[in-house]
Amino acid sequence: MTKEQLLDEIRETNLAYLLLAQQMIKLDKATGMFRLGVSDDVALILEQLSPGQILKMAASNMLLCRFRFDDRMILGLLTDYSKSKPMVHSHAAVLMAGQPALGLA
Amino acid sequence: MRNKSIVLEAKQINLAVELVELGARLQVLEAETNLSRERLLKLYKEVRGESPPKGMLPFSTDWFISWQPNIHSSLFIDIYHYMGRHAGVSGITAIIKAYRLYLEHIEVNGLERVLSLTRAWSLVRFFDARMLTTIACTQCSGHFISHTMDLHDQYVCGMCHMPSRAGKTRKAAAARMLTEVQPLPLRAVAAPKLRGIARAAAAAARPDRQPRARPSARPAMVQN
Repeated sequence: MTKEQLLDEIRETNLAYLLLAQQMIKLDKATGMFRLGVSDDVALILEQLSPGQILKMAASNMLLCRFRFDDRMILGLLTDYSKSKPMVHSHAAVLMAGQPALGLA
Repeated sequence: MRNKSIVLEAKQINLAVELVELGARLQVLEAETNLSRERLLKLYKEVRGESPPKGMLPFSTDWFISWQPNIHSSLFIDIYHYMGRHAGVSGITAIIKAYRLYLEHIEVNGLERVLSLTRAWSLVRFFDARMLTTIACTQCSGHFISHTMDLHDQYVCGMCHMPSRAGKTRKAAAARMLTEVQPLPLRAVAAPKLRGIARAAAAAARPDRQPRARPSARPAMVQN
């Protein structure tokens, strides 16, 4: 993968992420916030972004979405196949629901 | 109680319909809306096409402690708490939203719907009354439901430490029989039959050749 290709992929992922996140928030704010794992202020920003602003934000060489599992436990649960799958997903869902929301500093 | 505002009444009716569709019982509707009992009865019959079940609601807090219900209701209450803490919704709206997310989880993972809306609603009431609380598992740090006055210094949740017979019910065994055991006899029966059909077809295609036994296929019989 060349550098240009990589940057294109990042921009595309950014755009898709921002559009999806905004749609989720607009559809049902509380549910969207739960799924995204963001707090009230971040949700407000996402909701109010104009299409132009989204395009500008997406045209960055940094990925705008970040890895949510800084917890070794959840990561281990989701990648381990030794237990039955539905149980493992329930366990991970309980842990993720208990995680704090990402807010603005 | 009599409603003065028509708009408010319309909202209440919408809420009641949503609750009935999610499986709420009449007592939940009576507590969460201020429509009269007669109207709620009519509404229930119209939406469900049957009379509401009679009798008291399940009132035991112990149900939420047993293994499988504990996992399901812990998931629900964690989502509900997230809604209250971060998303700023509360009351029956938060219950409905959290319950819809719980249902989605059930559907995605193909699990059984263990927690009904009525149970979820009474679970929230038990939390409000401080009869139940959540406690962090010492191994996975997930929050699980437990009695408020229970002593849990070294609490380990039901999924980090599975009880030996957990999930091995008669129903689960029957479901496993259907998915796993059934293909085996099918294959055992069908495979020789299919092979026989294939051999007959091959013989029909080449009538000049006589079907003969392969000596390498049954070495034991040749020796005897």
